[in-house]
Amino acid sequence: MTWVTWRQHRTQAMACLALLAALAVYAIIEGTSMRTAFSNDNLAGCLARSQGTGCPAAVSDFTGAFGSAVNIAFWSVCLIIPGLIGVLVGGSLVARELEYGTWRLAWSQTVPRTRWLGVKLALVTGGLIAVGAAMTAVITWYRAPMDRVVGHLYQNVYDYEGLVLTAYILCAFGFAVLAGLLIRRSIPAMIAAFIPWLAIRLVIEFVFRDHFMAPLTTTTGTCVQNSPQVHCGTGIGVVPPDTGHIGDLVLSMNGNLVTYQPASRFWPFQFIEAGIFVALTAAALGATIWLLHRRAAWTA
Amino acid sequence: MFRFRLEGSSGVPPYLQLVHQVRQALLLGYLREGDRLPTVKDVAADLVINPNTVVKAYRQLEHEGLTGGRPGQGTFITATSSPVPPEAHQDLRASLEAWLRAAGEAGLDDEAVTALIAVARQDLKQDLKKERV
Amino acid sequence: MTQDAYGSVPALRTDRLGRRYGKVWGLRDCTLEVPAGAVAAVVGPNGAGKTTLLEMIIGLLEPTEGRVDVFGQTSRADTARSLGRVGYVAQDHPLYRDFTVADMFHLGRAMNPSWDQNLADARMDALSIPVNRKIRRLSGGQQAQVSLTMALAKRAPLLVLDEPVSSLDPVARLDFMRDVMAIAADQALTFLISSHVVAELERYCDWLIILSAGHVQLAGPADELLAAHQLLTVPRATPDADLPGTVIQRTDSDRHSTVLVRAGADQFAGYGRPSWQADPVSFEQLIMAYLQRRPSPRSYDNPAPAAERPGTPAKEVTR
Repeated sequence: MTWVTWRQHRTQAMACLALLAALAVYAIIEGTSMRTAFSNDNLAGCLARSQGTGCPAAVSDFTGAFGSAVNIAFWSVCLIIPGLIGVLVGGSLVARELEYGTWRLAWSQTVPRTRWLGVKLALVTGGLIAVGAAMTAVITWYRAPMDRVVGHLYQNVYDYEGLVLTAYILCAFGFAVLAGLLIRRSIPAMIAAFIPWLAIRLVIEFVFRDHFMAPLTTTTGTCVQNSPQVHCGTGIGVVPPDTGHIGDLVLSMNGNLVTYQPASRFWPFQFIEAGIFVALTAAALGATIWLLHRRAAWTA
Repeated sequence: MFRFRLEGSSGVPPYLQLVHQVRQALLLGYLREGDRLPTVKDVAADLVINPNTVVKAYRQLEHEGLTGGRPGQGTFITATSSPVPPEAHQDLRASLEAWLRAAGEAGLDDEAVTALIAVARQDLKQDLKKERV
Repeated sequence: MTQDAYGSVPALRTDRLGRRYGKVWGLRDCTLEVPAGAVAAVVGPNGAGKTTLLEMIIGLLEPTEGRVDVFGQTSRADTARSLGRVGYVAQDHPLYRDFTVADMFHLGRAMNPSWDQNLADARMDALSIPVNRKIRRLSGGQQAQVSLTMALAKRAPLLVLDEPVSSLDPVARLDFMRDVMAIAADQALTFLISSHVVAELERYCDWLIILSAGHVQLAGPADELLAAHQLLTVPRATPDADLPGTVIQRTDSDRHSTVLVRAGADQFAGYGRPSWQADPVSFEQLIMAYLQRRPSPRSYDNPAPAAERPGTPAKEVTR
């Protein structure tokens, strides 16, 4: 079954590798120039000493030069890429067999259908984890200098580092496999899986993520526009942020009360969010296996 | 190699068709003693028919004494001629020709002759059955 | 392979087999037997329950009631043991169109412990089908041959072919059946072939199963079934009660009626009337008559089981 799974997903695997290669090329180019600028501006020492207060010009030069690349490219397009990868790989896994009648061939060999599905899911899931991990690694490497300047708790960076990227892919995959079994047509299954995936993805990001753990508060000086010491603004990209630590995510400012999530919560948040999506994946794939086992009549 | 043929619409069961073809070939001299009939597999593939049909035909021929099988070597013709002696054949042939001439003069065409023969044969069969019962 | 090779264990035996889809019974009360070494035909219109029956035999579908035994062992759907005993070519012979022939055989090898690669290679050689060609670039007839090879290389003793020639052109059709007949002659395999095309079935099958509306209408050895039926030509006024056996189909003209009856040979002997004519019925006429009559709600039991067959007359139908 290992060979069979590989052969049936060979094209998808090649496409993922090509995607990774393209990403790596981009990352190497941008990442190298970012590192050059970083060391030229001597930002490392300055950040370590003064959290950036001592070199505001260098910081804003740096973020100005490379910040936009991070925002535009990643945010608008890349939000949906993990979902697309997941549904494209998962939507046809079961649906294709039902659509083309090859289930009559696949499930009449000397392998019971739940074993057929189990092995396939295990191997493809493993492959997707590898793809997700590789993408995450490449992006994390490329982003490293910028992360030292502004941290990585903010949405369009957080989404691609740590664990969540892989978890997003797996969840979309799980939804698509289940949809494929229920709908029995590949493309409709991909669409039917993508929409709830996207909805859940956006809701968790914009409604729940900021509050995975109760935010902290601190007081700061009165916020004055264009002040070099105290800035007014939420999010990151503000160096140093009003909490005094690079990478803290400011949620709101009320007078001189700052509500924020500390940078140290990056990994706990990653685990929480990845955990949610992995649980959804497990539920979807478990349901698929159970349904396949139960339903012994196929009139696709 | 002797080739059989099959008439799909003749109403005669396939295995009997094969038997008849061997009998007829023997009568006409196309098959002689010592000739080997094709294997069951060859006939089944050639005519695209069930091999059991061929087996049945060959068994019937063996039962009638027309063929004999040598294990591992095939089925061979063992009889040269039909059980009917040649003089009886000639006599029957002559009386048949006379009858056909008379029928033609009476106005029966080919179809009418065939129909008459079929009916007469059928009636004779039923009479024979009744005689047996 | 000979008539004697009908082994003592039947290749297939079903006992009141049935399958319900929601409220509708696709197959009900199906009891039949096919001896080892037979080439059996399952005939019936679309929707008669042929595919349902075949899928339960193969192990793709779980029966709702009853059971099916293959070579003496009860089949349990979706278990390796049951799946491994039956080779299957589904309708339209599905294959992975993007695979090469060699890929398909690799799949066969990976998914069947009993796979015989030499057989597969030899067949492709004999049929001149290049193994490195993608399935979608083969002709319909070649694809059917690859499907058949997949089923054969599994080395299962029972082969089920679901409408194997329906989608093929006449030449490919003949080539396919020619191959099947040659294989049947060579090896001790049992074939179960479903078809809704009746013409020419007589050549291939020695065991007949007629399905209609989810029930078995007739089942048994083809030549015995033929011998058990006669086409009677009788005067129009003759009532059914005067006729021997059971009336299967009656066609009335102005002065005479043609009646297909089922009765034992002994029953025919006692009914000789001068105005009656008795003719043997052709295979096609027999099947069509059973398909055209109103389907019986109870299945016709198989005549004498394998162990008793030689010499015993057909068992009378119980309704």
